[in-house]
Amino acid sequence: MEIQWPLLIFSVLLGMGSGLLVFIGVGELKGAFKKVRFVLAVSALALLAAGGIASTFHLGHIDRAFHILGNLNSAFSHELFAVAFAAIVALVYAVLSRKDYPAASKVVGILALVAGIVLPLTAGISFMMPARPAWDSFTLPLMYLGTGLGMGLVLGAAIVYLKGDAQDAKTALLVAIVGVVCSIVTMVAYVAAIAMAPFPHESRSLARLTSGSLAVEFWVGVVLLGIVVPAALVALTAKRSPKASAGGEAVALKQGAGYLCAAFVCLVVGSVVLRTIMYAVATSVESLIY
Amino acid sequence: MTRYTMAIDLDSCIGCHSCAVVCKQENNVGLGTFYSKVLTIGPSGTYPDLEMYYLPVACQHCDNPECVTVCPTGASYKREDGIVLVDHSKCIGCQYCVMACPYGVRAYDNNRDKGVIEKCTLCAHLVDDGKTPACVRHCPGQARLFGDLDDPESDVSKMIAKKKTHKLTDVGNAPSVTFGLDKCEWKGGN
Repeated sequence: MEIQWPLLIFSVLLGMGSGLLVFIGVGELKGAFKKVRFVLAVSALALLAAGGIASTFHLGHIDRAFHILGNLNSAFSHELFAVAFAAIVALVYAVLSRKDYPAASKVVGILALVAGIVLPLTAGISFMMPARPAWDSFTLPLMYLGTGLGMGLVLGAAIVYLKGDAQDAKTALLVAIVGVVCSIVTMVAYVAAIAMAPFPHESRSLARLTSGSLAVEFWVGVVLLGIVVPAALVALTAKRSPKASAGGEAVALKQGAGYLCAAFVCLVVGSVVLRTIMYAVATSVESLIY
Repeated sequence: MTRYTMAIDLDSCIGCHSCAVVCKQENNVGLGTFYSKVLTIGPSGTYPDLEMYYLPVACQHCDNPECVTVCPTGASYKREDGIVLVDHSKCIGCQYCVMACPYGVRAYDNNRDKGVIEKCTLCAHLVDDGKTPACVRHCPGQARLFGDLDDPESDVSKMIAKKKTHKLTDVGNAPSVTFGLDKCEWKGGN
């Protein structure tokens, strides 16, 4: 299948936004990230809005959008509800973060955590179609969730580091490490699912990824930039944590911010490339036709 | 209950593509878009024992159409008589049905009714008028048959009764179109 760029961009941006919402939720539960919570919420909202706008470029008739609720059983409709819920939560949290309502912020923060997990899963489930064996696996929504957590949690940590908040840096880094681990595990799981998909065919085989027409994308985009480099950069950030650094807290934070920003960019590239592979292997179950 | 569908006798198909052409004429299908197309399957085997057949493919008017399930607007729907259609006035062109269809027989229209999904209608406008689909009427090999699957006297039921029959790969969508093939080995899924 041809790469559906508007949908791809939408899924990457909503992944980042969802990851940031999870970061907000974790912050509320841990009582951390107070200084950056407004920036986090506004960033999440902006990412969701940009993703939503990108997705409209996929539609032939945006003018008929009011028909979208014509079939509430459609996964597409569920996705729409999930996006709307996440955007509302981000907006409310952004407003609350400008005031001092700790109880309300905590409740909305937990809702953000839920929305950040549900949204990428819902978006991924909409691609689970029996006609496309390489998509018809729950590892696909898990990959959407995992890569979203990777991008969003590392972005959140980078924002904390950029703000120079040494107090929250340790928590932020821990959360970022969890994000990178989730991203790596779910990426590997999805690639394994492609390899083990029913109705085996060379167009969606592991050989096509490792040594065939998708080898460059797979080894450079997914393995190197999506897995190895972000893991190394986050490990490097941990090694030079503000407290352990001899060069002073500010320098360590600046350095850490650089590493985390670089890791974020690599995770974005890895997520984009894995999704291009996801479309490339989305051949039909009917081998006579594709 | 009436269940309109098509049966195609592949042993009688000569691969002339008349069905594809007449479909475009009857339904005013735009350039580059096909509701119906004819695939060449093979040749397969080892010389001199080679075999090849033609496979006309269009919407399979599935009993459990995934395209209808995924459509967010309800534009894709199945009539009580079994015909799967797209209501262009409701279609937003999201193309989820194109992805959900296992047979690549839905097309995004860039010509006539820009921005919507098009597909074989089983010539519902002719069927409603008591006629048969254009591809059936114009098939020179009389390979294409149309009728009610629940009527044992229909052309479709008669062909199914007398030939070795096959369907395109079924992943729960239950395609309704039946292919009859006795002279060659079927290469598709069942």
